[in-house]
Amino acid sequence: MPKQLIIDGKEITVEDGITLLQACEQAGAEIPRFCYHERLSIAGNCRMCLVEVQGSPKPVASCAMGVNDLPPNRDNTPKVISTKSATVKKAREGVMEFLLINHPLDCPICDQGGECDLQDQAMAFGAGGSRFEENKRAVEDKYLGPLIKTSMNRCIHCTRCVRFMTEIAGVEELGAIGRGEDMEITTYLERGILSEMSANVNDLCPVGALTHRPWAHNARPWELRKTESVDVMDAVGSAIRIDVRGREVMRILPRNNDAVNEEWISDKTRHVADGLRTQRLDQPYVRKDGRLVSASWQEALALVAAKLKAASGDRIAAIAGPLAGAEEMFALKDLFHRLGSTNVDCREDGAKLDPAAGRASYIFNSTIEGIEHADAILLIGTNPRLEAAVLNTRIRKRWRQGGLAIGLIGEQVDLTYPYDYLGSGGQTLRDLADGKHAFAAKLQAAKAPLIIVGSAAIARTDGQAVLAAAARIAVAATQGKDPAWNAFNVLHAAASRVAALDLGFVPAKPASTGVDSFVAAAETGALDVLFLLGADDIDMSRLSKTFVVYQGSHGDAGAHRADVIFPAAAYAEKSATYVNTEGRAQMTAKAAFPPGDAREDWTIIRALSPLVGHTLPYDSINVLRAGMYKAAPALAAIDRVAPAEIKAVAALASVKGTVKDEPFRAAVKDFYLTNPIARASAVMAEMSALKKAAGKAAGLAAAE
Amino acid sequence: MGIFSEIFSWWGGNTWGTRLTIARQGRFVGSDSFGNRYYEQLKGVGPEGPLGRLRRWVTYTKLADPSKVPPEWHGWLHYTVDTPPTEERYVAKPWQKPHVPNMTGTPQAYRPAGSILAAGQRPKATGDYKPWRPD
Repeated sequence: MPKQLIIDGKEITVEDGITLLQACEQAGAEIPRFCYHERLSIAGNCRMCLVEVQGSPKPVASCAMGVNDLPPNRDNTPKVISTKSATVKKAREGVMEFLLINHPLDCPICDQGGECDLQDQAMAFGAGGSRFEENKRAVEDKYLGPLIKTSMNRCIHCTRCVRFMTEIAGVEELGAIGRGEDMEITTYLERGILSEMSANVNDLCPVGALTHRPWAHNARPWELRKTESVDVMDAVGSAIRIDVRGREVMRILPRNNDAVNEEWISDKTRHVADGLRTQRLDQPYVRKDGRLVSASWQEALALVAAKLKAASGDRIAAIAGPLAGAEEMFALKDLFHRLGSTNVDCREDGAKLDPAAGRASYIFNSTIEGIEHADAILLIGTNPRLEAAVLNTRIRKRWRQGGLAIGLIGEQVDLTYPYDYLGSGGQTLRDLADGKHAFAAKLQAAKAPLIIVGSAAIARTDGQAVLAAAARIAVAATQGKDPAWNAFNVLHAAASRVAALDLGFVPAKPASTGVDSFVAAAETGALDVLFLLGADDIDMSRLSKTFVVYQGSHGDAGAHRADVIFPAAAYAEKSATYVNTEGRAQMTAKAAFPPGDAREDWTIIRALSPLVGHTLPYDSINVLRAGMYKAAPALAAIDRVAPAEIKAVAALASVKGTVKDEPFRAAVKDFYLTNPIARASAVMAEMSALKKAAGKAAGLAAAE
Repeated sequence: MGIFSEIFSWWGGNTWGTRLTIARQGRFVGSDSFGNRYYEQLKGVGPEGPLGRLRRWVTYTKLADPSKVPPEWHGWLHYTVDTPPTEERYVAKPWQKPHVPNMTGTPQAYRPAGSILAAGQRPKATGDYKPWRPD
């Protein structure tokens, strides 16, 4: 039942079940707070949100008071609440004075300075001076790993970090010991936090107790230029803000996007920033006498053009890597088609996806927000915690609400929530597809079942059959239910994949040809030119008999093998379209300039085109995009996700094939080192080593 | 010091006036290793010096460069000591460095750490990146 309230003289009607703080915000009143956070449980321990409630003898902590808990007035008039009265002002000043008693006055050397809740609120709601003349409390700093720098003197015990790690990240490694003044936030064992989401506590910390260690004391927030962009470290497409000083990316922070990442990002998304300034390709290279020597753009482009012109269409091929934007893939495919070649492929891992089968066959149809409506989830050959850490927190969020059955086929790993382990391989999947497995009944009983297929499961030789089996399960589970609910989901690991499939960046006959056949042809010398658009995860040792062109931003496996290197921009340095795993087209923004002679990807391909005699008809990114939207209309719907034709799933279910018995393997072996940018980052390398060491220690402990 | 440079760059060394004044009023005290010559005003001649002291002068061998006055003579010239070093046993400290003239404007000019004109490694700055090199 809606409730009537009078807040600061304004009469409003609020919905049931919200807190007094939310009601005050709806009335337009600003309530200061430290411990309260919309996405965390309510602690009510900072006391900053005190308001005056009619009939209450003392000010009330509004964050912990539900509007339903307010006792009614005798005459049934609405409760009068004041957020601006003298009592409230005095109460807030008192709370602030107590908070500042043990808070050091080190704002000039504190990394939080300028974006500190305590600083701001002390200015807005605090008293003018201090009456405290005794010694301040001193707390030892804690070691929380390479990402989180601690300065525990500054801690005001809001416990946001503890609640985040426990509730959202699902790793109970952070807690509080002691009481009152002696309370300390610690990991108990003083080892680094092993969570893919751990660095979010730095954003949550309202003071400077937890700050980012990798960019400590590097920049002040007011000297940074902020650009809103999209992450490409995984296929979730988290919303990020890139902070730049000069032409250097200083830091990457999350942006709010309720449909995708809420306000969390993974540690890789955030701390890959230092990878953007190491191992950069900043000039073209040409291989001469077996050695790569620096060359001019004209020389490199002319050499590649000569090779492409000399070869016939069936003897050239292109592979797009995980970080390629839609624009450059469109341009490259266009160029190859003009050269008479359909040998282009984006499925670097050999995934058996076919865009001809319809969009629903390769996207996350239920959408990430849809996970919250699911009541049964089946994970097939995937480890969402490593493949899409932010999406995994969504599953965990849904699990915390209760009434969710989760089943997993594949590697038995810690997903931060419990699940029914159904089996490791094809046998279980076949049983489920035939409806013989016990979990099939749970999916049947569910109102909104969700089937998630991992990218590694469909990259096997029997990937087509795995896909068909998953589609059969999805069709069977949704039989006779809400027709708008599409239960079939593919969880991609590469940011470029869905856009590439939308563009049809696959060979003309995808089933028979593809990356595997390109590499096999290169090995036998049946391929003259192989164009790698940021593709590093193929077996480079097999490419010795072909002419390899590598276009990318970082020197990795591909650059070492290449005969010509085109230096290109990384995702923070260009405006490119990426489509996330749910089919949501999003655009990155150019936050900085690419280093040295590196250029934006599509301009390189455009510059190459007149030299091969097929000038591409676009001189600006807008003309290119107009052509791209015509070829793939789904890319034009920026920030939106349109439901795909559900018929494609039914068609997929009818594909014949037998799933083999071999166990499913994870797509991501090392979360921190999945792409060239992450592999160039020193922070990611440190985290990877820490995780390996912790895994070894855990293994030893288990063996004892 | 030829007559030509005496006329056209009189500020480079001792002027006629200086020499005339010193010859009329000065008493030679001694000279240092560079050949600079030091004089003291004779009693009762000329205006009263600062704080009633006798004036002390230096004439330079070549270009007038006050940094060329060695520490021992510097002390006498500035009334820190009254005994000129020629009249006492002056021994230089081991940490005293030989004189280097002011090199500003020459290729040997001093460049502070981080100067883009200095050779060698410049300190880290915003926008730096580590390029990939093939070997």
